[in-house]
Amino acid sequence: MNSNRGSYGSYQQHYSGSSSPTIKNPSAPFEKGPEFNDRDRLNDLLATEKWLTDGFNVFVRETSHQDLYNDVLHILNETHHACRDVFNLMFEKGWYSLHPEQPSHVEEHYQKYSGYQSQFPSQNTGQYQTGGMYSPRDY
Amino acid sequence: MYRNQPAQQQRRSQPPPILSTKDDAYLTDALSWELLAAKKAHSFASQCSDNQVKYQAEQLCQMHQRHYNILLNHLSTDRQQQYADQSYPHFHN
Repeated sequence: MNSNRGSYGSYQQHYSGSSSPTIKNPSAPFEKGPEFNDRDRLNDLLATEKWLTDGFNVFVRETSHQDLYNDVLHILNETHHACRDVFNLMFEKGWYSLHPEQPSHVEEHYQKYSGYQSQFPSQNTGQYQTGGMYSPRDY
Repeated sequence: MYRNQPAQQQRRSQPPPILSTKDDAYLTDALSWELLAAKKAHSFASQCSDNQVKYQAEQLCQMHQRHYNILLNHLSTDRQQQYADQSYPHFHN
């Protein structure tokens, strides 16, 4: 179940021990010194986009009329996508690594929180009604 | 001037398309953020040696300029005039 089936595509999986795999691409070359390098630039751009999403999140919540709300929400959404693009590029360049959680832990939490579903107070258990006020809306 | 609204005016389900003082403050803030972000991305793009990073930075620059224009449009006098005419005929003068 937790064997390496190559589901991460061409990504390298380093095993420093038997239980702590790393999901990471081989690092693309960049200057390693005191100078501001390409990796620093991409990190700085990511930090900027993240900071902007915070700002626009507050802005969209405070807007008065609908047209402004729509435009600011659109900008917030595109800024999130930009964050994602930069993050993906950092990952592709091998400048960002992830550590997968142990499948047994995930399974344990799935069981635990599946049990909590019995505490749902509404009979309408998560099934969205079309046209309902809180049906899913895409932006 | 708000006192002069006719009493029989219809109840609105949403605010009229008029900028509030808060909208104006946020818009000018956000315009500064976008301009700074566009300049930074463009500057970084010119300094990058990796072509993919350079391309991404330039894309960001263009996105921020687009966002700047969307925001600026909300401050345009044409738009404000149009708003005022349809919502508050008595708002100006």
